[in-house]
Amino acid sequence: MRSDGLELVARDVSVQFEGLKALSDVTLAVPRGGITGLIGPNGAGKTTLINVLTGFQPVGAGSIELEGEPLNGIAAHKLRHKGVARTFQSGRLFRDLPVVDNLEVTGVGLGQTRRDAIAEAQRVLAWLGISSLANTIAGALPYTDERRVAIGRAIMCTPRYLLLDEPAAGMSEHESHDLAAIIRRIAGELNVGVLLIEHNIGLVLELCERIFVLDSGEIIEVGTPAEIRDSDAVRHAYMGTQRDELIPPIVAEAAVAS
Amino acid sequence: MSTRPSVIRQTIVTPIILIVALLIMAALTYQFGSRAFNRTAVEMFINIMVVVGLYVFVGNSGLLSFGHISFMCLGAYMTAWLAIPPVMKSITLKGLPAWLLHTQLPMWVATPISGLFAAIFALIIGRVIMRLSGIAASIATFGLLGVVNNVYSNWDSVTGGQGSIVGIPPTMNVWIGWLGATAAIVIAYLYSISRSGLALRATRDEAVAASASGINIVRERLIAFVVSAFIIGLAGALYAHFLSIVNPGAFYLRTTFVTLSMLVVGGMYSLSGAVSGVVVMSVLIELFRNLEKGISLGGHTIALPNGAQEIAIGAITIVMLMYLPTGLSRNREFSWRGWPLQRPLARPVQTALKELN
Repeated sequence: MRSDGLELVARDVSVQFEGLKALSDVTLAVPRGGITGLIGPNGAGKTTLINVLTGFQPVGAGSIELEGEPLNGIAAHKLRHKGVARTFQSGRLFRDLPVVDNLEVTGVGLGQTRRDAIAEAQRVLAWLGISSLANTIAGALPYTDERRVAIGRAIMCTPRYLLLDEPAAGMSEHESHDLAAIIRRIAGELNVGVLLIEHNIGLVLELCERIFVLDSGEIIEVGTPAEIRDSDAVRHAYMGTQRDELIPPIVAEAAVAS
Repeated sequence: MSTRPSVIRQTIVTPIILIVALLIMAALTYQFGSRAFNRTAVEMFINIMVVVGLYVFVGNSGLLSFGHISFMCLGAYMTAWLAIPPVMKSITLKGLPAWLLHTQLPMWVATPISGLFAAIFALIIGRVIMRLSGIAASIATFGLLGVVNNVYSNWDSVTGGQGSIVGIPPTMNVWIGWLGATAAIVIAYLYSISRSGLALRATRDEAVAASASGINIVRERLIAFVVSAFIIGLAGALYAHFLSIVNPGAFYLRTTFVTLSMLVVGGMYSLSGAVSGVVVMSVLIELFRNLEKGISLGGHTIALPNGAQEIAIGAITIVMLMYLPTGLSRNREFSWRGWPLQRPLARPVQTALKELN
């Protein structure tokens, strides 16, 4: 089911860090209920773009709109109240708290009582199929479980949009397959607009309906997975100047290196 | 999966153990202690209030504060203004407004008012200071201590300046001290299981992720700041009733560092740590105080030089920070089923001092 016309949009966004242009005139739209991909080499500005969309990084120029409502200069925690959630490359779980409390914190942050937040946390854990982790201290989790808990924390109280910053980094093929199923369910069952940032290009091509390619702070290509696969500009950005080489289906080395 | 018992059911044991343990200490002191020992016990109970108040802010937010003793100062002077007989006030504190000059309130009324006064002051100041993070926040609280101390040392017509104001009714005893400590522990416990307490501990561990979870860091810090100021304001009020005199020097660097080292020694991220730190350090301080006075051995009197007490406190704090940075309690809480019940943390918990690096 798609709610048509509802989007989280970055329009002509530019960000500068002391003279260095991190993003220049980037326009990107994430529709409700769909999965949008964002790929690009290291240092292309992908994380900066996520930070802009979630209120962690003020925009230099341009605007952010949430379903038509302008959001410039809004604080990160307020944006979460409006339904824009995210995960982090490094996980950033509350390491001293049990898994269920990690999720509970979001419920409390969004205004629930502790009792309601715990109930919601247990519902989300069950929905993700990781109820068995509920009482484990988050700092003791293996890497892949950490990622799933981070996603659970982000989808507490069902946000409208979810921005995933390299959720599959370091995962085996089997694990990233499980992850893909979860991401599909989040978009399909919960009608959440997902923006997926990934180095695992195979995963992005498999999941996303529309893919944006960022290089040196600029969007160099937008299109369906088939179009991206065939794009000269993308091949150029990833591979240097060899225009004839194919994009490998899974760039595992890049994922490990990040 | 089974539903968890409620938050209160899981954690209520901790404050009960602490309060009962202190009650036993109070009863023993009352029954067997000398007059001097009773005074030492009252001082310990007041320090428990101060350190538990510090814990509410430092323990939950992870920010080190050097400014909380100024709330003790505010509470103590407010009590002096409210509780000293009007006859004495009109001589020593001519600058007070007329309505205050003519009031005299009993301890039971003056103490909560003093706590509220400190809390309101914290609400105003905190709106500015709580926007800062890390070492900037700590330095700002230190500035607060300096400013409050300067005002109270120099506003002669209202605070008596550097000198002491006398005449506060000396109505303290161990039971009231225990009651004060109990109130502090209950408030601190209720805060730490509250929504704000949980949210603030999340910001302590991962500030960025906490914002992404919808938590307003400045607001949660401010709530803890105000609650802790209220507790320490109460402590200041009882301290004024205990000594029956107040002077600004009592609420400055020495008290700040002694109470902070009590918190560090006990373990600054747990309520049990805050309380046990005070008990342990009070025993040591009392021991060194007696050694400074001298003990006689077969006609000879052996005495440590004055100041050995302070040196010992400093040395103990340094050793604790080096070898046991999570304090005597290891940042865990007392509970039944052996101590401590909670499973060991997966990695050493960073102390608030990491913010200084």
